[in-house]
Amino acid sequence: MKNIWAVCRREFVSYFTTPIGYVVVGTFGVIAGLGFSASFLFYAKVSQSPAEFAYTGVPDFEETFLSPFLVFCGMLIMFIGPLVTMRLLAEERNRGTMELLLTHPLRDREILFGKYLAALGMLAVMMVVLSVHLGLLAYFVDIELAVLGFGLVTVFLMGAAFLSLGLFVSSLAGNQVTAGTMTFALWLVSYILGSLGEDLPKGNPAPETWPETLRVIVGHGYGVFRALVQELPLDAHAREMAQGVVEPKDIAYYILFTAFFFFLTFRAFESRKWRA
Amino acid sequence: MIEVQGLTKYYGPIAAIEDVSFHVGQGEIVGFLGPNGAGKTTTMRILTGFSPASRGTAKVAGFDIHEAPIEVKKRVGYMPETVPLYTEMVVEKFLAYVAEVKGVPRAGRRAEVDRVIERCGVSPVAKRVIRHLSKGFRQRVGLAQALIGSPPVLILDEPTVGLDPGQIVEIRRMIQDLAREHTVLLSTHILPEVTMICQRVVIIHRGRIAMQESMRDLTWNAGPAASGGGEGSQVMELNAEGSPEKVLETLRSMEAVKEVRQEGPDMYRLEGVPGAAPALGPPVVRALTAAGLGVRFLRPKTRSLEDIFMEVVASDAGERR
Repeated sequence: MKNIWAVCRREFVSYFTTPIGYVVVGTFGVIAGLGFSASFLFYAKVSQSPAEFAYTGVPDFEETFLSPFLVFCGMLIMFIGPLVTMRLLAEERNRGTMELLLTHPLRDREILFGKYLAALGMLAVMMVVLSVHLGLLAYFVDIELAVLGFGLVTVFLMGAAFLSLGLFVSSLAGNQVTAGTMTFALWLVSYILGSLGEDLPKGNPAPETWPETLRVIVGHGYGVFRALVQELPLDAHAREMAQGVVEPKDIAYYILFTAFFFFLTFRAFESRKWRA
Repeated sequence: MIEVQGLTKYYGPIAAIEDVSFHVGQGEIVGFLGPNGAGKTTTMRILTGFSPASRGTAKVAGFDIHEAPIEVKKRVGYMPETVPLYTEMVVEKFLAYVAEVKGVPRAGRRAEVDRVIERCGVSPVAKRVIRHLSKGFRQRVGLAQALIGSPPVLILDEPTVGLDPGQIVEIRRMIQDLAREHTVLLSTHILPEVTMICQRVVIIHRGRIAMQESMRDLTWNAGPAASGGGEGSQVMELNAEGSPEKVLETLRSMEAVKEVRQEGPDMYRLEGVPGAAPALGPPVVRALTAAGLGVRFLRPKTRSLEDIFMEVVASDAGERR
């Protein structure tokens, strides 16, 4: 336990003794701030003349402003997340310090949890920045604090899930650039598939003329594909959560996602013992 | 302290080391020699738990490296070959981190860090970022890192490589000094270094142990291969005045002397019977003096480690061809 803390602290401090921590937090702060101002101005315009924007009345604040903004923040974290995770294990491998890490009396779980916690620490710093925006809302808008708080939790869960994916990629890659690029590519693929998924029609795409068995197979296959594409992307479950709708299955999704990639990271990290 | 048993490591189909067995006793300082690529680093990495062996096992400080890796790591200070360090950290902070990870209790951490800083002579740079240090200081930080927590076993992979002569001497002195409290296994391909600081050598060649012997036996006994003598016998060079016949006669009459030969004007080569080893000198001098002959000098015919190393490496290469 103590060692987890030691590894975590070393890792977290080195985010800020190298430029990377400032780049990450700075980028997040600037872009989240711009996003906040832009969407707030847009919401203000819409609520002043709803008819112009095809709304019947003043649009719902949570649905039209809060949720898209928070999901945007989550996506932003995923956009810069590779910067946070790419160094975790890949850099140790690349510059040889892995040899120190693995010959000091540390267990695998102490190393991996320590590193993941450090990444979560970065996420927490970004949450502090975000809570400035949410604090402004709490002050100026008549909105329940619980909704804002849960919104923060939502973004944190999104980020935490994505960072575990990043840690996994970092455990495979031999250097930072590969790790960062791969993580970013995975995010992009999931994002594109996710937006594609919204347009996928229901029902069976196989033509009526095909034999029955083949139609059934294709139908089920397509069903699974459509469900995966719609449910798997990291932003899919956040939309409702960010409006303050607490659904156990959405929360479970993020926790399971994190646990799954953490499990893979362990296996990948252990593989050094039987590979090579 | 270190017991290695039949260690084998494959990288794909290629065996980096094969059936390596040797031991290092408590308080010994052992040189691990071999040409580049012979398997020194591979062996050390297995002993320190960085990479697993394909076959065989080893015990370090009484713990099996595969069954109790954490216990082994707690008792080993390891200085890897290129001394990888967290370059963005301040020396002091880095050492404090290592102390924490190695389980030095919080109360004694500060003192322990100061102790190794003092010992390895890194105090002038203790507050500097590792990235800005010279190679010599990085090497010392690497050594300091290994010393934290006073592990009973030190494994040093080429600790003097890439240093200037002055630094080499300093690091050597440091290592010699360390041998008082630690068991040291040290790899190098700089032979004079081994001659100077090690008590025993293990020579590895093409992944196999080619020889392991104590330095004293190695150079003292000119040995079978070099001088044609039998196992364990001692060969000495004698320069004596007086008639050669008388010298030869006197020496041949001695029980401890197996063979005497004249090798030049007043130069003789004499071989003791096995077991008589280092004690051969005094009786020879006494006998010659008693016979009225003068001894100019009598010295053991030693081989330099270079000779031995080249022999081992060459003979093995011949065998394989």
